[in-house]
Amino acid sequence: MSAVSMEALTKVYATGAKALDALDLQVAHGEFAVLVGPSGCGKTTALRMVAGLEDITSGVLRLEDRVVNGVSPRQRDVAMIFQNYALYPHLTVARNIGFSLENKKIPRAERDERVRAAASVLGLADLLGRKPGQLSGGQRQRVAMGRAIVREPAVFLMDEPLSNLDAKLRVQMRGEILRVHRRVGATTLYVTHDQTEAMTMGDRVAVLRSGRLEQYGTPRELYDRPASLFVASFIGSPAMNLYEAALEAAADQCVVVLGSQRLTLAPAGAERGGLGAYRGRKVIVGIRPEHLAAPGIEGAKPGIEGAAPGIEAAAGASLTVDVRLVEPLGSAQLVHFTIDAPEVREDPAEDTEQLAEGEIMDTPVANGIAVTGPRTPARAGSRITFGVDPGQLHFFDPDTREAIDTGR
Amino acid sequence: MTASTLASPGDTAAGPPESRRQRRKRERLQEQAAAIPVHLYGLRRGTVTLITVACVLFAIFTLVPVAWIIINSTKSQTGIFSSFAFWFSRPFDFFHNFALLFQNVDGNGTYFQWFGNTVLYAALGGGGATALAGFAGYGFARFRFRGSKAYFYVIVGALLVPVAAITLPLYLVYAKAHLINSIWGMILPSLVSPVGVYLMRTYVDLSVPRELIDAARIDGAGEARIFFRVALPLMVPGLMTVLLLSVVAVWNNYFLPLIIFTKNSLYPLTVGIGVWSQVAERSGGNSDLYPLVVMGGLVTIVPMIALFLVLQRYWRGGMLLGSIAN
Repeated sequence: MSAVSMEALTKVYATGAKALDALDLQVAHGEFAVLVGPSGCGKTTALRMVAGLEDITSGVLRLEDRVVNGVSPRQRDVAMIFQNYALYPHLTVARNIGFSLENKKIPRAERDERVRAAASVLGLADLLGRKPGQLSGGQRQRVAMGRAIVREPAVFLMDEPLSNLDAKLRVQMRGEILRVHRRVGATTLYVTHDQTEAMTMGDRVAVLRSGRLEQYGTPRELYDRPASLFVASFIGSPAMNLYEAALEAAADQCVVVLGSQRLTLAPAGAERGGLGAYRGRKVIVGIRPEHLAAPGIEGAKPGIEGAAPGIEAAAGASLTVDVRLVEPLGSAQLVHFTIDAPEVREDPAEDTEQLAEGEIMDTPVANGIAVTGPRTPARAGSRITFGVDPGQLHFFDPDTREAIDTGR
Repeated sequence: MTASTLASPGDTAAGPPESRRQRRKRERLQEQAAAIPVHLYGLRRGTVTLITVACVLFAIFTLVPVAWIIINSTKSQTGIFSSFAFWFSRPFDFFHNFALLFQNVDGNGTYFQWFGNTVLYAALGGGGATALAGFAGYGFARFRFRGSKAYFYVIVGALLVPVAAITLPLYLVYAKAHLINSIWGMILPSLVSPVGVYLMRTYVDLSVPRELIDAARIDGAGEARIFFRVALPLMVPGLMTVLLLSVVAVWNNYFLPLIIFTKNSLYPLTVGIGVWSQVAERSGGNSDLYPLVVMGGLVTIVPMIALFLVLQRYWRGGMLLGSIAN
């Protein structure tokens, strides 16, 4: 039995726009599930449908095995935290938190007791007499949470609750929400457009795009085995480097031809999973920026500018690129580079039909990014060779945009 | 004029009330610091002077009748006709006129009765119009129902129909409905305020966020409770505007009571004073009613000024402070 169960949940607006297309999603009891995706992907619509603020066009929504399609919000036993808090400005913090209890006609003594308990969990005990206007952004956020936890609801719904806070407070409140979640143990459905939030907070993360579910799994699964090109480019920061490549069939090994360079896969790796079927065909290859090993580290051959021209990717697993820009972050370094391979764009920020078809750029030069150690000797304008672990490569079908199973 | 009043701000000549000058200067400087300096408006100096003069002239034009009524309320009947209209004359009859106002004069009805009628009509009509505008505005702003847009356009259209155009049909309907010489004949039409509905819809749109209503729904509040506990407190400034507008409209309504009331005891102030004025004219200046007409007019506007001063504390910003981020 799941706490929240969506079966083929669909939302079509009167204008004909399809906000949600047959969404299937199960959230287990006590689970912290995150809906993530670019704006307009339908994640907030899904949340509002669970809350009862939005009609369900078709499909079945169950809360605790009870079909609630036509049930009003007040009878669903859900609490919601809104993006902009939606506090009652004319009521004190105590009345804001206790409003739902007032509505349930809970006696005053018990109400006060529960409001105080919720306030102390959130560190609001001293602010109970204040009005929302006298609170800081973080405090308002906490009042919104207090309003939710005081009810002890079956399900918490959170709609981008941290997006109005500054970066530092956001990290702090991220921890606070998780702390409260563990303490209360209630099922939570959390909506965000921020993949970092999704990865750090979610027990399981659902990636949505254009109203469809792309993948639903643990953060690790999404990162290690993205089911589609979209998930691959959306999860992870900086985003995965994606290039069009050809898979060349050799006698007992598989060679990825990336522009003028060749990456040789170990024979075992080449045969595993469904990759073998793509021999002699085009594929999209993905390399995470953090999997490009900088020269001098992990035994990759130093291939800094000045090395013999035409230095072939020796040992089958290195890539030579032109460094365009180096951004030192202190603890690490972002190396922006260009490589002579056709680039594949899967820009989650521009979630349009046009891009959904997946346009492959014709330009033979593509951009890329690598995360290296802070002291890697890379300079803008120089040429550098990265070591590549073939086991860390991701492959996608250029037509379906889905991941090719490599048996990982 | 004394030299000190002519002294320019920078003048160091010791004027008589030094502290007052300093205070004025400080206030002026504070005002100047808070606003963009006039010379940065991009206007030529002559233009600024021209606009200022035009504004002053318009202010005088607007205030002349008020000054006239205040000055002449202090005069006797002969004083009103024989002295200069914009200056006081003896005897000073202000309190005499005021006392006379609340007595039955010549059997032509009492000001006191009319005043009470007007308060009743304004309270029920204006208050009712405000309540209805509040409900309707909230409904139009926050609910979508079959034909909601069409209904709203009909109401906006009603804004364009002049009251005079519907008075005759209204009278004919009233005659059939036995509403002639009934206070309901006065109150019922006053309850309808297209302007109020329009204003409230706009006000609710701007000041009662949908998220707040959604939050209350999820918090388990019913629709009535959401309206009274969540939306209404936020609608107060808008409602006060509508209240002022509709009370003033009823208070000053002349045409409608004129055609539906034939009994002196039902008249509001507007019609009552009109009757006095007619009697005074017909008597050719013999009936001593002119000071009462003037004083009656002055007393009539006082409650409206008071109402405005009482209500203005609601027109301050920040009602939504802290509710919604950004």
